Amino acid sequence: MLATLKGLFGNDYDEDGFRTCSVTGLRIHRSAEVHVKLFGLTAVIALVIGGIFALTVAATRWEVLGLVGEFDGYYRHLSMHAWNILIFWMVFMEIAILYVGGPMVLGRRLPLTSVAKAGWGLMVAGALGINYFIWTLSGGSDAPLLTAYVPLDVPPGFYASALVFLVGATVAALPFLVTIWQEKRGNWSATLPLVTFGAFVTFIIAVQAILGGLAAFSYALIWQIGIIDSINTGIYRQLYWIIGHGSQQINLLAMITVWYFLTHVVGGAVVVSEKVSRTAFIMYLFFINLGAAHHLMVDPGLSVGWRIFNTSYAFYGAALASMIHAFAIPAGLEAGRRQRGLGGGLFGWLTSAPWKNPIFASTIFSIILFGFLGGISGVLMGQLQLNMTWHNTFATVGHFHATVALGTTLAFMGLVFFVIKTMFRRNLISDRLALVVPYGYAAAMGLASLLMMYVGILYGVPRRTSEVVSNIPGSDFSLSAAEPLFLVLGPMTILAILVGVVFVLVAVGSLLLGSRAGEDDDEALLPEGGLQPNGGTESVHAIEMRGTFTLCLMFMATFVLMYILNWFLLTRLWSIGA
Amino acid sequence: MTNPLDPPEGNWWDQAVNRREALWLGIAGVWSLGIFGWMSGFTRFGDQNPVGETFEVEPAEFEEMLESYRMDADWTSEAAIEERRAPEENEQVPRTGRLREEGQEDIDGQGTVIVPPGDSVYIMGRQFNWGGLPVVLEAGREYDIHLGARDVQHGFSVRPGDSLSQQINLQIFPDTEWVVPMTFEDADTYHVICNEFCGEGHAGMHGEFYVVEPDEYDTVVGE
Repeated sequence: MLATLKGLFGNDYDEDGFRTCSVTGLRIHRSAEVHVKLFGLTAVIALVIGGIFALTVAATRWEVLGLVGEFDGYYRHLSMHAWNILIFWMVFMEIAILYVGGPMVLGRRLPLTSVAKAGWGLMVAGALGINYFIWTLSGGSDAPLLTAYVPLDVPPGFYASALVFLVGATVAALPFLVTIWQEKRGNWSATLPLVTFGAFVTFIIAVQAILGGLAAFSYALIWQIGIIDSINTGIYRQLYWIIGHGSQQINLLAMITVWYFLTHVVGGAVVVSEKVSRTAFIMYLFFINLGAAHHLMVDPGLSVGWRIFNTSYAFYGAALASMIHAFAIPAGLEAGRRQRGLGGGLFGWLTSAPWKNPIFASTIFSIILFGFLGGISGVLMGQLQLNMTWHNTFATVGHFHATVALGTTLAFMGLVFFVIKTMFRRNLISDRLALVVPYGYAAAMGLASLLMMYVGILYGVPRRTSEVVSNIPGSDFSLSAAEPLFLVLGPMTILAILVGVVFVLVAVGSLLLGSRAGEDDDEALLPEGGLQPNGGTESVHAIEMRGTFTLCLMFMATFVLMYILNWFLLTRLWSIGA
Repeated sequence: MTNPLDPPEGNWWDQAVNRREALWLGIAGVWSLGIFGWMSGFTRFGDQNPVGETFEVEPAEFEEMLESYRMDADWTSEAAIEERRAPEENEQVPRTGRLREEGQEDIDGQGTVIVPPGDSVYIMGRQFNWGGLPVVLEAGREYDIHLGARDVQHGFSVRPGDSLSQQINLQIFPDTEWVVPMTFEDADTYHVICNEFCGEGHAGMHGEFYVVEPDEYDTVVGE
């Protein structure tokens, strides 16, 4: 057992502890690689725990099964699902991504490895504490769900554990910051590689989010242990959503960084304009965390001006940034592949792409579904008035499954396969099963997300409840008109979870039983002609981007259509508001 | 063109942007400003805005306000409302919920449905029912809906029984009173459920508005 574990963390390094990656050509130091593996493996464990509770939650919301009743702990199950998947799986992966984007891409050691380990230890301790306090709730205490809204009676130990986890994440991120400082010291005018730059912006966004989280959970903690007598609901919500939404922006930025990275390595993408892509990252830096206000649109006590400015990320600065990446990333793929002469016509560059490579397929499905389902729905529900029809309905759940479960999780699954091949140097135990993951997950979770939005908007099915569709306890009223849709939604959520099981089996199975990957195996991973093809120095003007442009126009048409549809529904309502 | 794993060489800032990418930037920029303008303008010309006066209030104070409003109110019964509704309409109205309001037993035979004494309607979320519901309202008349909570946060989620897609959701705080004006155009039974988690029992929070036509309203309230 110990030998197996030790074997997982080994590789052939030279005297200085470096090796050259045969896929990316990066010079990788042992210290960075070991810690990427450590955080990545921990993330997968969190995914497994959260995934188990995904199953019990899904089997409850599909009321035909009605697995866990309201008084049998449904809200505990929901809390476990949320914290383990949305927070622990994501944040452990994100620390790993920082270590890839920083020391690995820059060819440096990971500095302060003991700090990295201490950060990991604190994060694990915080995560264990949160799981413990959720699972052992008793004596009339309330389940926290994700938000731990005051003044519910959430155990103080929960808030304390959340603080420990956040401090741990900050500590774990420090070695990344030191790496950037070391790189830039004495060389301030040099430009960072785009992936490192993206990781750096992710880091800053993360710090902003964590500060909000520390404030929110400390405020709730000192109230729960009696240091202050009363707590203000609205202030807690404002503080909480700095981390509640901000942590999702960490996911977004980490995911976009991974998109640039993986489309390049497995698809042959280039950066079509450093200026445009970097400007988009800078716009995120300034605007994206204003989006925390999305959660406060139908709260009392906030002025209209405050709400409109913040929910729009200051005139949609961050939405524009996302639409820039939405062009730049596929355009990079199109330009890179056209340069290599791969595929003519409008979409030949895309149809000729390595669709049988699970890493490539995961990345592309993540990009497309995040944009069409998650991105569009996010802007719609973030509009002040439309939010009245989205807020706390199942449609909200549909939105964040489209962004986080489809977008981020799918991209991270691709990344895990990539890490298994390039860092653990193992072949996948079954390429066919691995390929089931992107296709099966994209289809099942895509359909599930769409249906969640559908039942939320058109049938008003709420989130965060154990039953309401077939039965509202103590009432003759119900939302049973939505029942037929659950006959598709229910099985789709369960199917998506089963594909998640396949992912874990392939990932863990390959680590334990996969054959050792050699240089011959790398060929299949890389784009045709290798990562750095000869020639291909044509100017950006000589390369056509009409395929991407067409795709983006299709995206815009969908966006406009959905926008009109949502507003049409809203204006059919009775008159509301001063 | 460069790759994302190496620092770009030379003056990358001044390199021209591809024509189609520049065009897309323009389209996306115009759309961003457009949807901002629409959202902002709609607060001026639109009829559906989550906007109203708010007041800081202790939960106990709000409960007192609700109580004194109930003292001033008249009462009618579910049966009286159903009876006055036109027969064809009656068939469409879903069966209404069991009344579970505490302190709202039909003691003197006047009924359990509140008839608001004026244009103000008080509704208070509490674990686990809606104080101030059921209430009968007149179609087409503007009411000030005073929303508050006694204990924790609740979600005020409303839809007419005949058309589930017409639904709105507002957040309710225990330390804030939110006065949101509403005018219900269509007579129907509107169902309120709680859509913010408020503890075990949350799933059963249900209450009703009965919105009736003006001529029926007079009969129902006994004028």
